[in-house]
Amino acid sequence: MKVKEILTKILLIEIFKGLALTLKMLFSKSVTVQYPFEKRNIHEGFRGRHALVRDPISGDDKCIGCMRCTTVCPSRCIHIKREKRENKMVVIDYIIDASRCVYCAYCVEACPVCALVLTEDYEYSSYERKGLIFNKEKLLKNWDEFSAKWPADYYFNKFWQPPGIDPSRWPKTKREQGPVPLKRGVEIKREVKNEQLPS
Amino acid sequence: MIETLYVIFVSILKTALYFGILLLHVAYATYAERKVIGHIQLRLGPMVVGPHGILQPIADVVKLIFKEDIIPSNVDKRVFAIAPIISLTAALSTFAVIPVDKNFVISDMSVGLLYVLGIAGVGTYGIIFGGWASNSKYAFLGGLRSAAQMISYEVALAMSLVGVVLMAESFNLSEIVNKQNELWYGMFLFPQILGYFVFIVAALAETNRLPFDLPEAETELVAGYFVEYSGIRFSFYYLAEYLAMFSMSALAAICFWGGWTAPPVLIKIFPILSLIPGIVWFLLKVYFHIFLFFWLRGTLPRYRYDQLMAIGWKVLIPLALFNIVITSLIKYYQ
Repeated sequence: MKVKEILTKILLIEIFKGLALTLKMLFSKSVTVQYPFEKRNIHEGFRGRHALVRDPISGDDKCIGCMRCTTVCPSRCIHIKREKRENKMVVIDYIIDASRCVYCAYCVEACPVCALVLTEDYEYSSYERKGLIFNKEKLLKNWDEFSAKWPADYYFNKFWQPPGIDPSRWPKTKREQGPVPLKRGVEIKREVKNEQLPS
Repeated sequence: MIETLYVIFVSILKTALYFGILLLHVAYATYAERKVIGHIQLRLGPMVVGPHGILQPIADVVKLIFKEDIIPSNVDKRVFAIAPIISLTAALSTFAVIPVDKNFVISDMSVGLLYVLGIAGVGTYGIIFGGWASNSKYAFLGGLRSAAQMISYEVALAMSLVGVVLMAESFNLSEIVNKQNELWYGMFLFPQILGYFVFIVAALAETNRLPFDLPEAETELVAGYFVEYSGIRFSFYYLAEYLAMFSMSALAAICFWGGWTAPPVLIKIFPILSLIPGIVWFLLKVYFHIFLFFWLRGTLPRYRYDQLMAIGWKVLIPLALFNIVITSLIKYYQ
């Protein structure tokens, strides 16, 4: 045993082993993804840029100003401006400070009408802080940009529904929440079907 | 008179050609190093400038030339300015005696090998001066380490080549190559394997390459002796380091691998190989050694300082001495 140890030391066996390993690595495929030129597939449930879903009928957002998202937000980056008009709350502006957001998606889970979503866009860096503070207009534009890119007619992400809680304890609106339609024609058909159901 | 002018003209032409090609090689050695190290670490290395990053060295040179040349206020200005030039000049003048092909050498000196070793020692001055003049602790430590390392490894380096000199009975590098070609295998590598091992390890230390890059150890000394240098002066040091690598590779190719000649036994088996020009054989041998430098860098971690000194004085020098004794005995009783 001792002779063997001395021999390995003298003949530099360990160093040659290392050299063989690096030579093998030299000719194996590299793991680099050259990002701006090639992109990795996004995993299901990716939480990216915020957007307000544009309602295909009214052309506006669906927010009802219930303030659940502002309440649940751990980094306090959602600000809703609302006003009482004709005995009715109206949402004037909806501001998300994306530079403070931690992308926990609690706001999306809490939203009863599925007005707010996190899309799968992730390339929205900005040279100034202003560019990361999204107001209502910008959030709706985010949705338009995302829906133009999305290949399917509907979009649904599993993190929109609170995980780990039995569905029977969810709010009714949450339980009935389905995939969000992206195109106008699809939505109208669905609306007709919904109206038929209660009758 | 005309004859003298002719000789001067030919020398200048030779020098321009030689150094032009040499500097191109150095530029692309940096590219090759980044590629090889990258692929060893499963990365790609430079990929953006040109196809597969082939124009990266040119972009680097442009960047280095146009960078601001910062001289810190507390440096010894004269020495600070001279040091990189000493380093670069020493590294470049080594190549004056290195033959790349039959009869293609700028100066066919009879003591070529001694000249190479002496000039390599002068290069150390550039590093020590640079480290001292920078007036910085990192640079100073790097310079001191470099001085100690180079002095102790130069002994091993020179002694490992004594075996070659004994076998070739000459200090002239062309003569050494011719002598090797008289053997049927055309190399001193096999009878001088011990000397070759000592030479490679000492050359790694002499050129400050990993695993012996203590003078510029990034993790402890930032960049060692050239921390304070920037722009074109920094690139002089950088060039000097790569040139030293090339001169050591060329020396290894000439002294142990038979320089520009192919092994006679190979030519006897495949007569067609004799058509290949000598420079191709020489460059192949040099490239192999350059690759070996990169390969070792990608494999081995840095040695501790006391380990470095222990390897130099307790292993390499006794081995080199043993090699000299054995070679002399064989030579004497032949």
